[in-house]
Amino acid sequence: MSDPDPADFPIHWAWEDGPLTPGLTCVFRVKNEARNLPWVLPPMFDAVQHVVLVDNGSDDGTADIAQRVAEEHGAADRFTLAHYPFQVARAGAEHLHTPPDSVHSLTYFYNWSFSHVRTSYSMKWDGDMVLTAEGVELLRDLSWQLEDSNAVVAVPRHPMSVESESVAWLDLGYRFLEPWVYPMGPEFTFVKAFEWEVREFPSTSERIVAPEGMCVELKWLDQDEFAHWSDTVFDPVRTPRKARELEVMKALHESRGHEIEGLKRIEAPAGVHVVDYVTKQWMQLEPRPLTLRLELQEQGG
Amino acid sequence: MSESRRRVVFVVGSGRSGTSTVAGALQALGMHVPQPEVRADETNPKGFAESRWVVDLHHELLQRCHVQVSDARPSAWYETGKAIASGITRARLTEWMGPQFKEAQVTELGEEPAIDELVIKDPRLAWFLGLWKSAALRCDAQAAHVTMLRHVTEVVGSKKRYYAPGPSVISRRGSAFSEVQRTAAWVNMMLHTERATRDGKRAFVRYDDLLSDWTVPVFRLGQELDLEAVKAASANDIRKVHQFIDPDLKRVQTTWDEIEVPARLRELAEETWRGLSKLAEPGGDTPDVHALLDEVREAYIAFYDEAEAVAQSSVVAARREGRQQALDERPPTPEGFGVRARRKIRRTLGQ
Repeated sequence: MSDPDPADFPIHWAWEDGPLTPGLTCVFRVKNEARNLPWVLPPMFDAVQHVVLVDNGSDDGTADIAQRVAEEHGAADRFTLAHYPFQVARAGAEHLHTPPDSVHSLTYFYNWSFSHVRTSYSMKWDGDMVLTAEGVELLRDLSWQLEDSNAVVAVPRHPMSVESESVAWLDLGYRFLEPWVYPMGPEFTFVKAFEWEVREFPSTSERIVAPEGMCVELKWLDQDEFAHWSDTVFDPVRTPRKARELEVMKALHESRGHEIEGLKRIEAPAGVHVVDYVTKQWMQLEPRPLTLRLELQEQGG
Repeated sequence: MSESRRRVVFVVGSGRSGTSTVAGALQALGMHVPQPEVRADETNPKGFAESRWVVDLHHELLQRCHVQVSDARPSAWYETGKAIASGITRARLTEWMGPQFKEAQVTELGEEPAIDELVIKDPRLAWFLGLWKSAALRCDAQAAHVTMLRHVTEVVGSKKRYYAPGPSVISRRGSAFSEVQRTAAWVNMMLHTERATRDGKRAFVRYDDLLSDWTVPVFRLGQELDLEAVKAASANDIRKVHQFIDPDLKRVQTTWDEIEVPARLRELAEETWRGLSKLAEPGGDTPDVHALLDEVREAYIAFYDEAEAVAQSSVVAARREGRQQALDERPPTPEGFGVRARRKIRRTLGQ
């Protein structure tokens, strides 16, 4: 098979062809997320009007699983599956040395992925982030309330390390906040930053911060969570979130979870998977505030 | 996942559409309206079935968002949407709602039954449904919405009769304006309430159906929304509802002949009514009807944007007038610090 031709992957924005349709589209750019998608996709289909999933060279059946979940959920007509065949630079040093207009750049990859959006609002989402029941309700509302507002929405997420089917560790030490929901338009495209891409938005855009408890970010203790980074030495000033994640992961691998401030062990009732338990029940019933908000310098993603 | 028996019914719809009647009927059947309630008055002699705390909260939030109870602006939904996203307000509602549910208990006065099913009603409620859905989730209660439907001309006529100032206070032009504003606000409220409740458990009840034979729609609510108080209603409970619902309630029967609104707004209001009426039919809550209502909603937004653009001069003039009025009403300022300081320096220097 011949190498893919970059000319076959141009970025053509839907707004250039006419008005966008109302609603919110969630865009996933994924590689080897087959394990997570059965948890991630169903609540997302419940929350938004359309889902775009761009597979970037998975070898674990990610695309097939995604298509199957969409069909089983009765959402195949609201689902777009695309393939991006180029190797994309890993976050960190590799990204820094890749020009933004290269098909190997995260920046280009994001813009190409978002060019599939046909609605007036879009949302960047990771293939390991699971919406809670309350998160589904919030996005459902925002999907029609935002309309022409030009606002961006930041959603706090809670990293959750899954130890077994019934036990997980939820990191409630910090509030990891990042804007995820943006209008579509020329003022809201991706540009290059040092470690990764960032999405631009005008200073006139209002910023809405969603409450805590809307989503968890899955991490599996039996997997190398840092494989997509070009190195695992994190500068705690520039990438404090990653440094914390590494600290948590190391502690859990060494059975020292209880020593980490803000890390909470959760055990699901018998017969219920801990991911379902946390996202559909525990998170809603836990008293607020959820996070301790320990001192940590946070960089916007 | 949860098998909770807790239920919260949110009664929504435009004011003067029978929201008090349906909430009061559910209350008479044994559902709990959190106390204390807003007192009955001549506009609603049988009571409102509205919790004081809920009304006060909504009033405060609407003021903070600069949104009126009957607001015709489509963008008002974005303004209240921002309030809905507040973690602090969500926590506040949950703290209030949690203790409204009660386990059965035996006291000195006898046995007090459990409170598992609540009714929350307020004409302002539709603006903040997201907040309430979140509180219900956090209290492990299943949320359900009941939307009351009454034809727009009757709602506007009823509001005119009960809420409007007398003819000596308002000019004919002013009266026509308020009819247009009320009709537009009804369209805005009903279309967006439908959108806000679309993905959850819900039912639509026509005001006429409720008044002609309340047992049919209320029985259906019990079945569709799984309300134990309705499903297990005793003969005494049923009697209470008959005593509560006044068959002569439908006192205002206004038609388009008596309401002066632009033809396009009238069309939009009629299209809204037709769409919503379909939802009230058994099995009528379908994607086709949702798509139809989405089209009407888009058309209304376009209509409002156009009207707003045409009326820009009035908006600018009103803003100027308001600014001038605020200046005129400002109490005279005491001498500023700068003036006093300069005077003191002059005195010190003997000038």
